Amino acid sequence: MNQSLKSFIKILITIVLSLLIGTIFILVTGENPISAYGALLKGALGTKLGLGTTIANFTPLLLTSVAFVVAAKVGAFNVGVEGEVILGGLAAAYIGINWVFLPAPLLLLACFAGAMAVAAAWAFIPAFLKAYYNVSEVCVTILMNSVALYIGSYLVSGPMSAGTAVPQSDPVQVTIPKIMNPSSANAGLFIAILIVVAVIFMLYKTKWGYKIRTVGTNPAHAEYAGIGSKRVFINAMLLSGMLGGIAGCIEVLGVHGFYLDGFAKDLGTNGMLAALIVKSNIVATPFMAFFIAVLKSGALAMQQASGVPKSVVDIITAIFIVIATMEFVIELKKKHKKGE
Amino acid sequence: MREYIVEMNHIVKSFGEVRAVRNGEFTLRKGEVHSLIGENGTGKSTMMKLLYGMYPIDSGEIIINGEKIEKLDPKSAIAHGVGMVHQEFMLVNDLTVLENVILGFEPKKGLTIDFEKARKDIQHFIDRYQMDIQLDKKVSQISVGEAQRVEIIKTLMRGVDIIILDEPTAVLTPQETRKLFEILANLKAEGKSLVFISHKLNEVMEISDRISVMRQGQYMGTVDKDKTSPLELTKMMIGREVFLNIDKTYSKVGGKVLEVKDIWVSSLKETSKIRGMSLHVNEGEIVGIAGIDGNGQSELIEAITGLRKVEKGSVILNGQDITNKKPRAIRETGLAHIPENRNTRGLNHTMSIEDNLIAVEIDKEPYTKGIMMNVDASSKYAEEMVKQFDIRPTDYKLPTSALSGGNAQKVVVAREVSMNKKLLIASQPTRGVDIGAIETIRNTLEIAKKKGTGVLLVSAELEEIISLSDRIIVIHEGRITGELAANEANENNLGLLMMGGEDELEKGETES
Repeated sequence: MNQSLKSFIKILITIVLSLLIGTIFILVTGENPISAYGALLKGALGTKLGLGTTIANFTPLLLTSVAFVVAAKVGAFNVGVEGEVILGGLAAAYIGINWVFLPAPLLLLACFAGAMAVAAAWAFIPAFLKAYYNVSEVCVTILMNSVALYIGSYLVSGPMSAGTAVPQSDPVQVTIPKIMNPSSANAGLFIAILIVVAVIFMLYKTKWGYKIRTVGTNPAHAEYAGIGSKRVFINAMLLSGMLGGIAGCIEVLGVHGFYLDGFAKDLGTNGMLAALIVKSNIVATPFMAFFIAVLKSGALAMQQASGVPKSVVDIITAIFIVIATMEFVIELKKKHKKGE
Repeated sequence: MREYIVEMNHIVKSFGEVRAVRNGEFTLRKGEVHSLIGENGTGKSTMMKLLYGMYPIDSGEIIINGEKIEKLDPKSAIAHGVGMVHQEFMLVNDLTVLENVILGFEPKKGLTIDFEKARKDIQHFIDRYQMDIQLDKKVSQISVGEAQRVEIIKTLMRGVDIIILDEPTAVLTPQETRKLFEILANLKAEGKSLVFISHKLNEVMEISDRISVMRQGQYMGTVDKDKTSPLELTKMMIGREVFLNIDKTYSKVGGKVLEVKDIWVSSLKETSKIRGMSLHVNEGEIVGIAGIDGNGQSELIEAITGLRKVEKGSVILNGQDITNKKPRAIRETGLAHIPENRNTRGLNHTMSIEDNLIAVEIDKEPYTKGIMMNVDASSKYAEEMVKQFDIRPTDYKLPTSALSGGNAQKVVVAREVSMNKKLLIASQPTRGVDIGAIETIRNTLEIAKKKGTGVLLVSAELEEIISLSDRIIVIHEGRITGELAANEANENNLGLLMMGGEDELEKGETES
């Protein structure tokens, strides 16, 4: 408990420090930081539309950040969540458009199942290469993200195109209901929360979770204890991929209603950032994901209300990472000193 | 003139919790070859890395040429005339030998490197010491022995007159070793002082003037080569300890539990580290494996437990062929295993004592039901184990990283022994643990034996092997050199076998 309180305080300090440094940038643009941050907060949380947008931003981030954490728990650095979101979205769109012979509730289920299956299959490739051939999963997933992106672009510009000027697919025949009109917030939020709770439970209360944590923290011990570390590694990566796929499915069915080219832009990266800032602490990750969602949705309001460019928000998130990393370096140095 | 050009007094060096050097002493005379010997992990390399300034000392003093050195790093060590040839070569594979030698202090001609001058300088050393080196080949294309000569040239080019060689022969063939020794003799004739780190006694006896022995981070003494023998050195290296009292019982020995038939196994660096070993363990007996560290013990155990590939031969456990089966399948056939390294293999330090105690039974009832972990059952079990094995602190929710070496080892022993498997492999079960834990662990092995478990014990402590085992198998360089009943074994006859047996020794003596 003491430990988690400590890490909570650390996160708070990180947030305050980054906002302070953000203040400097706002001052440089010649604006009043207090009114700028005020506009940001009001824009993100103060209006129904703003809050709805924040929630709509938060939903996929929650899933992608936890997807990254699950991979991190087994010792993988999964940069490929974004690609998994894209392919999950594609699969959901394809099924949602074409399998109309299914009654609506079943079609909805089929979309989720298809998204999870395709995204997991995509995640299997780097997982397998890493487990059996020790190929860096970081390289493979980064490259595969581009591949996924262009597969999506090709399909909605060609075979799956709705024939519109913007590359997008036909509308899907089943959607997830919106909860805060006119914003994009939708019932996918509840699905995401349920799934994340289930994942946390799995990690800490089941033997699967035990094995994932063992392989992630000491693979030599896992091997010795008879835990098949290769299989566990692959399974955790599949789960990570599925979570990305679900995020894609919710975006397509809940936000857009069709597959929109480039819809997944930054969803994977921002989820990864949320996880990295809190060092893959799975309980803190959702809060960080929410905070980033607030920054993102409030940024536009800030720009309109105060004239501070919304890229200041990107600066603040970048500073986050720097500070979080610095803390990591400081801890390492301490350990090193003790070692001497 | 001073008697010594290097003096290291009362050296202490710790890495975190591990005390690598407790009380190190070392002196070097001008123009001598001084060997530093000891088993693996006894701090001999650490001592010399301290002299070369790779780490700072915790306490003690280092005096080079009469000057007490306060702050030492490799650069200033070289300036003081100390050079080191590391076990792992520090060469850039894609550069030529010439480029490697001058890397870092290239002779300049205007803005460019004066390769002609460099070549001339290096050639001078090559001729003087009759080193066979091809300057224009890339490092990736030359042999290990040649790479080592390049390393020696590198130190010479920097003008050192004290050269430390860290286990230089470990990577060499016998022919290359011969060549190296000729070069070392030349260097010595030129007045260079050499430190030779090794655990191969016949080599040490061949080239040294004086020999210092280290054991468990302690300096054990220095002897003149002419006044000692391999046997005396072995005794100094392995040592005698307080005899812990174990009531050894000769229980009735049952059928074969483990049978190893002519196995061949590679190690990480050497192919066929183990060359045709056969042995067996019966129910209700302890079989000890004696040997100087690094002679194939680790590879043998890993091969039996499924952690390393067996190239040839077979391993039979409980009548079933388990050769190259997965660790899990082997455990299910009846294996319990106390690994030699509790920190990387035996325990997961990020997890609690309780979670570590169930690590190998995570799939079994009552610790999991369906897919759910059953914390009630594992806590109850942990509470029992903590009491039975006197694990301290008793809070079993603490991570094992909070435990001392002895208590951490007790967690491993508790887990492995309480499963009551047919075969128990105990590899270095008391390495680095306190005397109280040693007693608990040894008694536990004795009790397991009484219950009918077959125990295969590997230990660097000869005394432990003698006091616990019923039969003792001695290995040397991946081969079994002898087998003795425990009551016939003593430090003399075991020591002899550990060095390869009578034949090997005689051969060594006639050579030198």
